[in-house]
Order: sequence, then C-alpha cells, then structure tokens
Amino acid sequence: MTDLLAAPSVVPEAAVTVDDGRTRRRLPLGLWFGIAWLVVATFHAYMASRLPWVRGENQRVEGAGRYRIGPSADFWFGSDKLGKDVFARCVYGAKLSITLASVSIVVGLVLGGSLGMIAGYFKGWVDRALAIVIDSLLAFPALVVAALLIGRFDVLQASDIQVAGFGFEWLTRRWSIAIVFSLLSIAPVARIVRAQTLSLSEREYVLAARSLGARTPRILFREILPNLVPAMVSVLFTGIALLLAAEGALAFLGYSIKAPDASWGLMINEARVDIDQYWWATIMPAAMLFMTVLAFNLIGDWVAKRFDIREAAI
Amino acid sequence: MSGFQSASRSSEGTLLEVTDLCTHFRTERGLVRAVDGVTFSIERGKALGIVGESGSGKTVLSRAIMGLLPKRGTVQSGSVRFAGQEILGLSARQMRHLWGREMSMIFQDPMSSLNPLMKVGRQITEPLKIHLDMPRDDARQTAERLLKDVRIPEAARRLNQYPHELSGGMRQRVMIAIALACGPTLLFADEPTTALDVTVQAQILDLIGEQRRDRNMSVILVTHDLGVVAGHTDEIAVMYAGRLVEKASTRELFANMKMPYTKSLLRSIPKIDEPSHTRLMTIPGRPPDLVNPPKGCRFAPRCAYARDRCHVEDPPLVAAEQPDHVYACWYPVGSPEFEERDAEILTQSVSIGATVGVET
Amino acid sequence: MRYVLQRLFQFLIVFVIVTFVVMVFTRIGSRDPVRDLAGGAVGEAQIEEVRQDYPYLDKPLVQQYVYWLGDFVTGDLGRSYLQSQEGIDMFKQRLPATLFIAFWAIVIGLLLAVPIGVYSAYRRDGPFDRIASVSSFGVISMPPVVVGVALLYLVVVRFGYFPTVGASNYVAPWDSPIGHFKNFFVPALTLGLGLGSVWSRFLRADMNLTLQSDFIMLAKAKGVSPGRVLWVHALRASVLSLVTSVALQTSALIGGAVISETFFGPKGIGERLVFAIQGNDILIIQAITAVLVVGVVIANLLVDLLYAVIDPRIRHMRQLG
Repeated sequence: MTDLLAAPSVVPEAAVTVDDGRTRRRLPLGLWFGIAWLVVATFHAYMASRLPWVRGENQRVEGAGRYRIGPSADFWFGSDKLGKDVFARCVYGAKLSITLASVSIVVGLVLGGSLGMIAGYFKGWVDRALAIVIDSLLAFPALVVAALLIGRFDVLQASDIQVAGFGFEWLTRRWSIAIVFSLLSIAPVARIVRAQTLSLSEREYVLAARSLGARTPRILFREILPNLVPAMVSVLFTGIALLLAAEGALAFLGYSIKAPDASWGLMINEARVDIDQYWWATIMPAAMLFMTVLAFNLIGDWVAKRFDIREAAI
Repeated sequence: MSGFQSASRSSEGTLLEVTDLCTHFRTERGLVRAVDGVTFSIERGKALGIVGESGSGKTVLSRAIMGLLPKRGTVQSGSVRFAGQEILGLSARQMRHLWGREMSMIFQDPMSSLNPLMKVGRQITEPLKIHLDMPRDDARQTAERLLKDVRIPEAARRLNQYPHELSGGMRQRVMIAIALACGPTLLFADEPTTALDVTVQAQILDLIGEQRRDRNMSVILVTHDLGVVAGHTDEIAVMYAGRLVEKASTRELFANMKMPYTKSLLRSIPKIDEPSHTRLMTIPGRPPDLVNPPKGCRFAPRCAYARDRCHVEDPPLVAAEQPDHVYACWYPVGSPEFEERDAEILTQSVSIGATVGVET
Repeated sequence: MRYVLQRLFQFLIVFVIVTFVVMVFTRIGSRDPVRDLAGGAVGEAQIEEVRQDYPYLDKPLVQQYVYWLGDFVTGDLGRSYLQSQEGIDMFKQRLPATLFIAFWAIVIGLLLAVPIGVYSAYRRDGPFDRIASVSSFGVISMPPVVVGVALLYLVVVRFGYFPTVGASNYVAPWDSPIGHFKNFFVPALTLGLGLGSVWSRFLRADMNLTLQSDFIMLAKAKGVSPGRVLWVHALRASVLSLVTSVALQTSALIGGAVISETFFGPKGIGERLVFAIQGNDILIIQAITAVLVVGVVIANLLVDLLYAVIDPRIRHMRQLG
C-alpha cells in the first residue's frame, strides 16, 4: 500500500526515483526487436528473387505435394498442399502485404492528414462539417464495406463498363485492396491529426507567428506540419500493422488476392482445414503475420510514447 | 491502536517530538538530502510555522512526519514520536489508524485535492464512517455541523454538491472540515492559502486558528510566506536546504531575528507602511543542490553577509539570549560583522533592480 | 436535453451519408440492379416480378435512395429473393445471435480489462504489470483470424466440449443456459480477448495518471484503505479512455463478429451479410449495413451520455452549453 502514491510532486524536482537500475535513456527491448524484424523481413521481401535460399513463389517441387515435407533443412517452413515452399511463399507474401499496406497508409496519411489538419486548424464550421465526414467514415463497418467494395470491383473489372472512355480491366484484386485500404485509412488518420492540430494551434509559437502577420498556408506548413510528423510516423507504423491484420481478415472472407499469388491471409486460410495434421502450412504464415504486426505495433507505439502523443498510443 | 487515542487525548504536554529527522531520496543523480537533520517539538494546542523557499524541504518534512512518503527509494533516520510513541518507519497499515483520526493534513490546491467526482458530503462522511464507525445518518449530521463550523453557508445544500460547484475559498473550508472530522490532535496545513485570493487567505487562517483553540489542536503551518505565519503561530521554524536554520517563538523571531536569511525573507515582503514604489529586496541565486550541498553554511553562496568562515565551516545551532531561540550562523544579525556589511548593502539597494523576492 | 438532440441530429446526418454511400457501392459495376436483386441467372418472368415489386430500381440514384429510406423508416427492411425471405424475418432469426456475440465479447473484455488494468497500475512496474503489458500487446497484434485459429486449436479441438468450426448454433439463454454457453463462449472469447487487451492498457494508463493526483493523496491521508482508494476513488476517475475506446471499437467489433460468426458458426447477421455480398443481394446488404450503422451510432451516443454520468463536471458543462 505504501507505494500506492508515487507522490512525485512531493519529491524535489531534481529527484527521479528510479531504483530498478535502469536509466531512462536506454531504448526498450521491444523496439530493437521490432526494428530487427522489420529489417530482416523487408530485406527478404524486396530482394527475394535474388536470394538463393528463397525458391520461386509458385515453384512446385517434385514429391513435396500434399504437405509431404515438414519444416526441415531444405524446406524451412515445410511444403504446402501443392508442393510449394511455404517459406518462399511467406517471403513473397511479405512483399505483397507490406507493399499494399504501406502504400495505402501513405495515401491515407496524405488525404486524412490534410483533412485533419484543416479541421483542427480552422475549427468553426469547417471543423464541424469535416467532423461529420470523419464520423461518417468511421461509422462504416470497415471489414464489411471493404468486402462489399472489393466484390463490386471484381464485377466491375469483369464487365465491359467504361467511364469517360476508360475501362476497368486494370482493377485487379491488388488495386482493389489498395484503393479500399486507402479509403479506410483516411478517417482514423484524420481523427488523430485533428486532435494533434487542435492542441498545437493553441501553442504560443503559432500565435506568435500569426501576430507577426504570417499567412495561413505558411503557418500550416512551417509551424504545424513539422510538429505533426511524430504523430504521423506513429500512425504510419500502427496503421500498417492494422492493415496487415485486415488483409488476413479479408482473405478469410475470400476477398483478398487470389491464388496462385501468395499472401499470408490466403495461405492461412487455404491450409486451415488441414491444421491438425499439417500444422506448418497454417501456423508459419500466421506466425509471420503475427510477428510483423507486432513489430510494426512496437515501433508505432514507441514513437507515440516517445513524443507523448496519447491518442495514438496503443 | 487504541493506545494512541488515550495517550494523545491528554490535553497538555508535548504532542509531537521530532529528533534529528533525515529523509533522503535515492535518485539517478545520487542521494537527495531533502531533510537533513531536523529537530523540534510541539505541544498540544500550539501552532508552529515552518517557513522556507521551495526546495527547502518543508513539504517533504511534513509528509515525512505523517508518513506519507513512498517507501521505494526513501531512506529515513531519526525519530518521530507522536503522543509518546515512535511512528517513524511504521507501515502504512499501522499509520492508517492515525491518518485522518489523530493527525490530518490539508493541502495547497483545494481544486485538485478534492475528488472531483464525489459529492462533498460523501468526502466528509468517509473518514467518519471509517474511523468512528458512524452510521450514515449520524455521519451526515456531523458533516453538516462541520460545514457550519467552517463557516460555509447553506451547509445542507452544499453536502450534495460537487467540488467544482464551490468557490476556491469554500473548497479550502471543505478540506478543513474533512481534516477536522474525527477530531485530530495534530493538523498539518501545507501552504493552505497559496492557491487562494488574498482576501480569502486571512479568513482561512483565522478559521484554522479558531478551530485550533476550540479543539485544543496542534497546528503545523507550512508555508513560504512569513506574512502568513506572523499572526497565526506561537513558534516559527525557518528551513533552508533541508535544515532548520532558526527557530524561535513568533514574537521573539520578529523582534530579534538572528539569521541573515530570515532577515532577507522578511525584507522581501512588501509592507504597507513603506513608501510606494519602494523596491523589494530579493535573495539572488537559487537553493543549493541537495545531492551535493556546498561545504560550510548552506546559505553562504547566496548570503550577502557571508565571510570566509561561512564557506568553510558549517555553523551549528546555538541558543540566543532567549533560551528557546536557536539559530545557526557565524555572523548573525546584531554582530559587528553583520552591521558593517549591512550598512554597505542598504545604500546600494536603491539602485538594485528587483522582482518579487521569495519564490512560490 | 438540448445536448442529446444535437447529437441525435448529427448522427442522423451520418446515418444518411453512410447508408447512401453503401447503396451506391452496391450499384457499382451493376448493369441492372433488378437483375442482381432477382438473383442473377433467373428467368425473365421472375425478373419482371421483381421489377413490379421494386419499380424504383431503374431510377436515378438519389431517388432510389429516397425510396429505400422511406421503406426503411416505416419498417420495411427489404427482401431477399435469393433466400426467399423477408428482411424482417431474417433479422428476427439472426439478429439475436450477433447481439449476443457482441454482448458477451464486451462482457468478457471488461471482466478482463478492469482487474488487470487496476492491478497493473497498483503494482506499477511490478512483475504482474510487465507480464500483463507484454501479453496484452501480443494479443492486440493478433488479428481475430489468428486468435480464432489459435483458440480453435487449443481449446475446441483439445477439449472437445465446444462445437467445432461451423457447427455452432444459436441457442437462446432462456432455452438452455448451458447450450448457450457452449455455442457462444468461444466466438465471444475470440473477440473479448482483443477488446480486453486494448481496454486494460487504457485503464492502466489512466489509472497511473490518476494515482498521482492530489486527491488520491488526500484520500490516503484521510486513512482510507488502499482497496477503497483504488476502487472507489481512483477507478471512476480513470475510465475515460476506456469508455472512449468502447465507442471507437464498435466498428471493429462488428468486423470481428462477422469473422467470428463465419468461423465458428452461430448464424447471425454478420454471416448473412457475407453471403449477401457474395450474391449482391442488394436490399439485404443495405438493410444490414443500415442496422449496423444504427448500432454504431447508438453505441457512440450511449458512450457520450456515459461521460456525463461518470463526470459531474461534464454534466454541468453540457447543461450550461
């Protein structure tokens, strides 16, 4: 009970009670793990074709079909039903998932960030109008709407409908997912950026700039935007984590990319039925997904805590 | 713990005895000697003022005596005897019988010290139910009476209100009511008026004094403001850098202060009988680092009257002409060295810029 | 209560926007909504029948929406020709399952979050705190699919007590409490674990902040026991982030319920919706999403009101404004 109250307000300012031996300056273990994992993962993902220990994405190996080979020296993650190397497909899946998620979140950051910044800075009716837009976007049951849109895009692609002379044959699953993820990222980003901007625009240096006659775009770009960077970086990482997980969910419902391409969600779902006998084909991609989501979360959370952005911390 | 009750209920005699109390905090930078050997005692029904700048250790002292400091990283030594029993080092579970019952504390900022989510009445009846096992209706009546005692109008209505519905002065009165609920014999008032308007400050101090007399309760008034203690205490102790540097009865202190530090504190208060636009005298510099206090007298680096000896040897607490008056200084007020330096300083003070002296 | 009306009005606008956009989405890539509604490859006679029942499907989008909205607010929740079922009947059949999954998921989440959050803050940086923090972070990083798979493997297969994949059925609690528990526990747990993890972190963070407040110090100095300080004084002041999160998580909860239903099987509106999307059963899609949006909106509104219940200062501010 004695330490129910840390009572730091009583202890003189010079004193910081730390008696577990750790100083504040050392970076947490989790962060190192996150960075390490991401470095390894992205290295593999983007250099895959050049790495000798990674087989082709769709390369079938003789005698490896029907999960015949478990995790071993030659097949690190075993083989799947069609005889493909689970490890290799995980690597290619990484590339796809991470690229999709990153691109989408960046688009979301640009669009959502602008919305949030404008709403937070100008306040008044602009804010109220934008707040309703943001609320609407947030009210969409995300997974459901994603599935719906992707389904419709499929139909659109298969049809010969044209808009302003342009057809939709290019609208493969990859593009569909990218568009949908981007759209769904806008609102959460906007919410966080708006909250940050609201608090920033009250700070003295902004008021000082305004009183010196600086015009709005200048203030937005020189004073506010640079200070939004930590929040946006945090959202970047945490958002990628969320989108990676979302891809898994979409695959479960059947709306992710189609076979024979590889994505973690797809792999998990394809092999799910055989999990009791041939666990590696499901567990390995699931583990990859988990570790990567964890890594992104760790980094995003660390950034949020380091720069004291409460709304973005997990 | 009923032994405490019967012992402290005696209406006379020494209530609290603090002997050589040291409270040190283990920190990254080293051992912070927040309280470094403080000795004093207080009798039943008397008021003691503890005066010092922020960083002097006065707040830590009051919390240390009550036993409210976290155990982690805190090293304490010395002795604190309350009603004859040693309480330093007791566990929180044991101390809980005393807190709110025999000794209470009121804090500086009533807005943040009262639970914003709880009705005022409930905050007052809480200690009554815990310590005195009062049934709900009795507790409510007692709470209402307490609010009347602290001069809050419409007491019955106030019981159902929340702290944010009351003014600052009323909130402080509520805190006093809470503190007095179970009839403690010792009250700690930690900067009780700092967060209040000037007009309300006097009322609160008068209220505390009145309750003290009515209940024969001892009061320890902790503040940075000599003006606050001037009219409301029997004895004053001045703290600096974790140590007691002067202690005397109030009258004696103001009539005959010995420490240059105390004198400087006094000089930094604006006085109504001085000509307007008289500049306030400040004490330059900041309180010393409590991890590595300077050698010699701790105040020496900032003392305008310091001489070589002050920087080398730490002056001990010695008695002045009056036996109850102790101070620690090599060249106190009234000594020839002091007078000499004083004359030089006063002629310069007219041209020295000044800001408000003592830090809050 | 002017404030409530204000919020209701805002939510009305949100509802209209969302349901309109969803309707537009269902029409993307569709040559003839009537044909879609009829079920794609059916005879001309049937298509004509559908056209008679829903003549407005040929009209411009905005008009279609107005007709649909009119139907919705008068209780006509559309019809599925694919499944030969009225919307209302479908809801009566399936809504309870989804509601129960969501309800139990929230209950489980709170049962986990409150003790863990409070104790983590109480013994800050102690072993429990650290383990809880790492675990919750780990659980949050697991998408519901993975949690579902994990639970499937560890609990369902191992114990054989719970129905396995796709076998769960809706059993009302008043019909058979045990049956209800069997069918709903694992689906709800899949979601509840995630919710509990997120909420325990929020609670812990807020509690840590609150425990450093002056009024906690005062409570202690009054002689209040640590249990009371924690549960009576500190907890109420620390639930803000958690309550906010409940509102924000509603959308995710829906997505999770969809997955849970599809994975484990209790037939709720989530599973029906997935089916409807596959076949572009437009009226059903619109009806279910509309209901879901109403759910999200109600949750947000309740949370908003909850703020006022918890914190009297907010109550006051709203009465004044």
